[in-house]
Formats: sequence, structure tokens, C-alpha cells
Amino acid sequence: MTAVANTALPGRPRGELWRKAALYGLLVAISLLFFVPFLWSISTSFKTLPDTAYFSLLPHHWTTGAWSTVWSKYDFALYIRNSFFLAAVITASNVFLGALGGYAFARLRFPGRELLFFLVLGTLMIPDQLRLIPVYVMLTNWHLIGGFWGYIAINLVTAANLFLMRQFFLTIPKDYEEAARLDNAGPFKTFWRVMLPLAGPALAAVTILQFQGTWNDFFWPLIIFGQGNTSHYTVQLGLAMFSTQFLTLWPQLMAGSLIAIAPVLLVFLVFQRYFIAGVAAVGIKG
Amino acid sequence: MRRGIIALLALALIAAAVVAASAQGRTKATTVSLAGWSGGTDEDALLKQVIATFEKTHPSIKVNYSVINGDYATAMTARFAAHNPPDVFYVDSSLASTWATQGVLQPLDSYIKSSKYDTSKFFPSLLNTFKVNGQTYGFPKDWSPLAMEINTGMLGSVHAKVPTNWSTLTSVATAIKNAGLVKGGAPICLSPDWARMLAFIFQNKGSLADVQSPAVVQAVNYYVGLLKNGLAETPTQLGVDWCGTALGKQKSAIIFEGNWLLPSMKTTYPQTRYGVFPMVSQKTGGNLAFTVSYSMAKDAKNKQAAWTLLSWLTSQAGQKLWVSKGLALPSRSDVKAIGGREAFLKAAPWAHGWGFKNFSNTYTVMNNDLSGVIAGSKSVQQMLSDVAAQLNQ
Amino acid sequence: MAVASDTHFQPAAWRRALTPARLREAGWGYLFVALPMAVFGVFFLYPFVYGVYISFFDWGIFGKQGSVGWGNYGTLWHDPAFHIALKNIGEYTVVVVPLEMALGLSMALIVNQKIRGQKFFRAAFYFPSLASSVAITTIAIYILNSDGLLNKVLGTHRSWFGEARTAIWSIVGLNAWTTAGTVMLMYLAALQAISTDVYEAAALDGTSAWRTFWRITFPLLRPAHFLVGVLFGIGALKLFDQAFIVSGGQGGPDYSTYTPVLYIYLKAFHSLQLGVAAAAGVVLFAVIFVLTLLFRVTVGRAEIQ
Repeated sequence: MTAVANTALPGRPRGELWRKAALYGLLVAISLLFFVPFLWSISTSFKTLPDTAYFSLLPHHWTTGAWSTVWSKYDFALYIRNSFFLAAVITASNVFLGALGGYAFARLRFPGRELLFFLVLGTLMIPDQLRLIPVYVMLTNWHLIGGFWGYIAINLVTAANLFLMRQFFLTIPKDYEEAARLDNAGPFKTFWRVMLPLAGPALAAVTILQFQGTWNDFFWPLIIFGQGNTSHYTVQLGLAMFSTQFLTLWPQLMAGSLIAIAPVLLVFLVFQRYFIAGVAAVGIKG
Repeated sequence: MRRGIIALLALALIAAAVVAASAQGRTKATTVSLAGWSGGTDEDALLKQVIATFEKTHPSIKVNYSVINGDYATAMTARFAAHNPPDVFYVDSSLASTWATQGVLQPLDSYIKSSKYDTSKFFPSLLNTFKVNGQTYGFPKDWSPLAMEINTGMLGSVHAKVPTNWSTLTSVATAIKNAGLVKGGAPICLSPDWARMLAFIFQNKGSLADVQSPAVVQAVNYYVGLLKNGLAETPTQLGVDWCGTALGKQKSAIIFEGNWLLPSMKTTYPQTRYGVFPMVSQKTGGNLAFTVSYSMAKDAKNKQAAWTLLSWLTSQAGQKLWVSKGLALPSRSDVKAIGGREAFLKAAPWAHGWGFKNFSNTYTVMNNDLSGVIAGSKSVQQMLSDVAAQLNQ
Repeated sequence: MAVASDTHFQPAAWRRALTPARLREAGWGYLFVALPMAVFGVFFLYPFVYGVYISFFDWGIFGKQGSVGWGNYGTLWHDPAFHIALKNIGEYTVVVVPLEMALGLSMALIVNQKIRGQKFFRAAFYFPSLASSVAITTIAIYILNSDGLLNKVLGTHRSWFGEARTAIWSIVGLNAWTTAGTVMLMYLAALQAISTDVYEAAALDGTSAWRTFWRITFPLLRPAHFLVGVLFGIGALKLFDQAFIVSGGQGGPDYSTYTPVLYIYLKAFHSLQLGVAAAAGVVLFAVIFVLTLLFRVTVGRAEIQ
């Protein structure tokens, strides 16, 4: 099954029990620590705005007012559709191109490979703020502003995903490719038939991370298509409407944020099991 | 896993087709684009109403209004650089001179002359904020100075009269503190911000032209002194994001904020009873005018139509509609504000437009140094010399 | 005709044996990376080169306003704010990256066990990473208020984000909390790739769990260490969002949250000195580049095995 790191020291059964209890206690404590702020968010979303003035764990009067305004007054259903579209397209593109490029950098030999890879890493070192104006001017000149395609174009593949896939492919034993080569398989066939199935955990990681990254992105959507009518708004742009300079609609903001988190949580829950599924293939001896 | 990827790709392609199919085409009328930040749902709705009125009275012009959420300066800078700005847009007084000198704003003087537009009704200090090198780059659409807002319950408890100058301010605050009315808080909420302290500097007849003068030092010492001797605390010390919240949560009795406080208090802290009083004065009246203009882009596509929109919005007719709900104060003397705003309007003669040379660099230095002075790690002299250095660049 | 591959990629030997098979492999290699390199080239490298170019000019929104040679770099050299920014980011990175790596690895090891509720704990640990940085920072500001939850628990009355002494360290805590889950994911993926034979052999030898971890697991995770260290190190050096939100865009109090990217942002979009902003960007890039190179030389070298 999973590659288990054996942390249980051999000892008497009673010691083992205490150790297990301590471990579980620690886990629950950490989980609580990570969760408490969100519990507060949930509770705030059921409050009225004046009720949020003073810190209280539970609402004084439970109300679903915030939730209903979020759906009706602010068109969150539309924003979710938009966010989902962008996240799906960009995640699919990143998974495919990242794996393809990552495999090439890890296992195919071509002149200048290391230099090109370092250029790829180099792109990570450039702050967004520095890139903004040249990229924006380019997209404007190519009429890619105001719609989704400009945003998709700049996010087709990111260096981080390519880097992740490359590092993962490096850890796969060469035996598999040897076998494929003996079968006269070319690089693409090797990639598609042999390497991809082995890369389950990494592909799952890229899927989760990129979906989430696109879903939570605020800066670039704002700049590229977030000025104008709200038909193109993503969930994050929608959330920004709840805090103006002197007034924050806390209940709506919390309700909206929870709605925003739900899909990414779902993607995580769905894809996290590939961590386990992918291992079954790796553990097999060639 | 592979099948999952193919499914994702297929889903994406289908979604793309749906989105493309639902894209709508544009009609070809004279369209003017208008952009600004959001002042909250009430303000946005009101502006849409104002625009609708404009379109009714000017049927040949369609207005395309868009709200820019998030970082206005960044979004606008990118659009200026790409030569694709909105035709008419908000300009904050602090950014006005920077944008004008960069050449992204259209000088309006030729339009003023050719349409014989009467600018005499704008409050001079406000109009001058948007004049650079003698040229006009925008008309103020509204404004607000600072006023003094006091919790009337607490003021009544100490049987004090409304403070009018620094010494009465100190004595009232002391009385409130001694009566223990603001447990866990402080009588005054003061922002560690030159956008508040500068008003006090003006009250002491100081100025930014001579920022290291004794008058300025005295004012700074008074302001910081209130914080140091416990009569005042900053919002972060009080555990709030701004002084409005402090007043609302009754952690402070006295704050200095502008007209924007009123809608916020009504929505978030309706229980707290407070009064709006004129800002204190010292050697003279001193206040800041926070104002925003409607300006036209140098790269605007339909300049004549944009001028029509711009001039109407800031005309008597347009502005009357805009201030009708009390969300903003009129910048023209021929438009009446709704009731209860006298304390703000009284400040007009002494209100200096908020903005100065080399604004961003100077303001960053101002506030970082001020927090150092308040914490005791920097001297007032050091801060003022740093500020002077930035202003003179 | 396909040739059996050698186990070590030797560039010189490769060039000498310029067989059709090798050419084909190279062709495929270029094809696979073509689209990614195009995206990187157009949207990253070109803007960077453009930035290098304008860093030698007095550059406004509408373009060139004058030539200053190295003047912008001189401005940076003499600007105490830029020095503070570099110092701040150095201290921040040196603390936050090892912290994130340690937390993430520990959580990955824990969650990798055959324990009950494994899936639940995995989700719980990853949860803070799910939310957007704006949302989470807003929540954090509320919790770290001077009369917020944290202070109530600790019995103090500190304004964590509002005091110069604690502001940047509060951001360290905040970011460690939100990124540990992502680090955990990456280590998890890497841990899965370690064959169970290795552990079986160690168990047969009677190696203790602790030793198994340090002598076997930890070194085998080198590619993951490199990945995590580089990604999150670079991310730390580019800190902006949290510093911006927490300080209202000014880098205070008293320059404690002033970062190089904040400097670039203010110069580019507020004081509109794009040449200076570009120069700062080039300097920051150089710093990140050198540090990454150092990291690669120390940690990354053994990855190609």
C-alpha cells in the first residue's frame, strides 16, 4: 500500500498505546488550530452586520440574510461558472504541458537543455509587478484584454508546475523507459503510455495546486478582464465587492468566501486519493 | 488519470464554446467610457441613476460605466501605458499632480473656453487642487474635510462643552478619561497618519513649504503628545481598522473623520449616538480637503463627447443629483448639501487640498517615520528633515 | 534504429555521436518544450529584458523621459528605504522557508502513516492553503487584533500586525500556516515515489525509525527539498500581498513590513518612476538568482542520478 515510514519504535504494548494516544492528540490539536479561523468565518456568515461589531463565537440571532444576498443581489452563480471555466481550462493545459515539458527536461536529451531549464526557473524570479505593464500592453495590442483569452494565454503553463513534474520524473527509475525503448516506442509514446500513468501523485499535485491557484487569483483577472461589466467576474473579484474602503460587509464576505472555498476543497478531496493510487504502479518491480 | 485529463480538456472546450456563443455584440453609438472605484452599493446605484439621467437628456451619447475594484492606481497606470484608458474617470487629489505631469490627463482649458463653461462656482481650494502649472485637469466632483465626531452620551456624562481648540480638546479628553468612560480604549482615536496630523499642522499656521519650522514641530508634538500621555490611541492599539470603528464600538469618544463616516456608522453601528462638530482650530482654522475629480484621458477616443459628460456631471444639475442622498458633499457653492452637514461645510475656507509634491514617496516616508516617532524610536526633527528631503526632490 | 541508452548524459560524447536517433530525440525534446518556452519567453523573459532596458532611463507612463545611465541604480544605492527592504526580506526568508519545509515535511510524514482518519487529517492540514491570500489575511488581521482571538488565548494585549517589532514575524506565522499544506502535498508526492523495498531492507536490518528517516528517507527526498526550497524561497523573496494588506500599502509600521516588491510597486504605480522600479526589479532578480544558484549547488547537485 502506501510507502510507510515506520515511526513506531518497538516497545511494550502499553507504551505503544500512550504513544498512539499522544500522536492522535497532537493531530487533533493541530487540526483544530488550522480549523478555528474557519469556524469563526462560518459563524460570522450567519450574523447580521451590526452583530459582527463585537467578537462573539456564535451569532446572537442566526440569520441567512447574508447567504441570500450573496446569491441574489450579487450574481455569485455566474462568478462561480466563470471561475470554474478558467480553472478547468488552465488546469488542464498546465497538467498536459507541464508534464510534457517536465518529461522532456528530465529525460530527453537536447542541446541547451540545462540552460533552457534555468531560464524556466528564471521566470519564477520575476515579480508580477515588474511584468505587469509590458504584458498588459502586449495583450492590449493583441486585443486580448477584457475577455478570458488573454488571461488563459499567459497562464497556459507555469514554471512551478513544469518544475514539479520534472523533479518527479527524475525520481522514476530508468528501467521503465528502457523497457519502452526496447519495444521501439518513440518519446511521445513513452511519455503517454509509460511515464504519465506513473506520475499519478505529481499530476494530482499539479491539478490541485493549479486549480486552486487559478481559482484564488485576484491580481491578474482584475487587471485583464476585471474592469468593466461584471459578466466576466470571477469569484475573487466578486468577493472584493464586499469590502470598500470604509465599509466591510463581513457576513456577506464570509459567506462568499466559504462558497469560494467549497470547489477547491472538492477538487482536493477528489484528487488526493491519486497519491495512493499512483503508488501501486511505482512499487511494482520491473 | 489520463482519461481524467481528456475529460477535463473536453469539458473545457465545451465550456469555451458556450462562453463564446453567449458573447454579445456592441451597438455603434457615440460611447463614452466612465470609470471609478466603488463607494459601496448605495453610491454605485446612485451614480447609475445620475448616468441614466444624463443619457436621457443627451440621447446621442451612451455612457459605459465600469467599476474598478481593487487597486485603482495600478489598474489605471496599466491602461494609461497601453494607451487604452477610460474616457472619463476619477482622479484622487493626491494623484492629480503626478498624473498631470506624466501627461495622461487632458488639459481642459480649451474646452472651458470654447463651451464658455462657468467654473466660478467651484470652491477655489478644491478647483486649484486639480490645476497644475496653471492648467485645469479636472473638476472636483465632491469633497469632504475632517470634522470632529463625539459620542454624545459620553460628552454629556462629563458635562463638558464641545471642544473648540487644543486646550479644550485636551481638557475634555482628560475628563472623559478620569470618568472611566472608555475602559479598554482611549478618549480620542488618532490615526498615525499625516492625512490627519497635517490638519493640526495647518491649525498652528504651519505649512509644508517650511516643514521644519517651530510651528510644525509644535503641532506634531501636540498630536504625538496626545498619544504618548494616554489621552489618545491609534486604531491598531484599539484593535480596530480605523477610527470610525473605534467610535462605533465606543472604544473612543472623539474622532476626526470626514463625511464618509456617516453612512458607515448608520449601517454598521446604528446604536451608537454621536454628534458631528466642526474641527478644532488653534491659531487659525486648519483642515484638509479630500476631493476627487472627474478628468479626461489624454488618449480618450471621443473627446468632445467625453467633455459633454464630464462637464455635465460636475455642473449644477449633475452635482445636485449626486449629493442628493448625502453620500457626498457638493464642491460647488450653488449646490446645497442635505441637512446635518454644516460642520463639514464650515471648514471650506480653511481646507487645504490633500496632495503635495512627490506625493507617493513623501507620504510613505511621512507615515513610516511618524510611527517611529510615536513608538519613540525616531525624533520629530529626524522625521521632519526626512519629509523635507522628499518634498524637495 | 533505437539504441540502448547510456546511464550518464555526457554532453561531449553526445555531440560526437550525432546519430539520427540522437537527432530525433533532440527534435522531440524541442517539440515538447516549444509551447512552454514560448509562453515563458513572451510573457516573462521579454518583459524582463524590457525591464532591464528601461532601468537605464527616466521612464514615465508614456515612455522615455530621459537617459540616466546607471542613475536609477545609484538611486537604489543611496535609498535607505531600499536597503531596509532588502534587509527585511532577507530576515524573513531565512526564517520562513526552513519553517515551512519543516512543517510541511512533518505533516507529510504524519499523514503518510497508516492511521485512522488519514484522509481527514490530510484535508485538515491542507485547509488553510485552500483560501485566497486576501481572504486569509483579512481573517488573520481580525484574529491578531489587539483584542482578538489570539490575544484572548495568550492573555496579552498586543497589536501583532501593528507593532514594528512583531509585524513581520506575524506575517511569518501567517504564511507558514497557509503554505505548510502545499509543502506537505509536494513532500507527499515525493514520499509516494520511494519504493517500499527500501524500508523493508531497513526494517530487516533492524534500523530504528528515526535512523531510517534521517539516513534513508531524508536523503532520498533531495529532489523534493530542491523543489520546495526553490519554489518557496523565491516566493518568500517576492513577498508582497500580506505586507501590502497588513500595512495599507505603506510598508509600516516604521518600515517593518517594507519589502523589495512593495518598493517596486510603489515606484511603478504610485510615484510613476518606472525606471527606478525596473532597476529595483533587476536587483531583486539578481539577488534571487544568486541565492537559487547557491541553493542548487549545495542541495540540487545530487538530483541527477
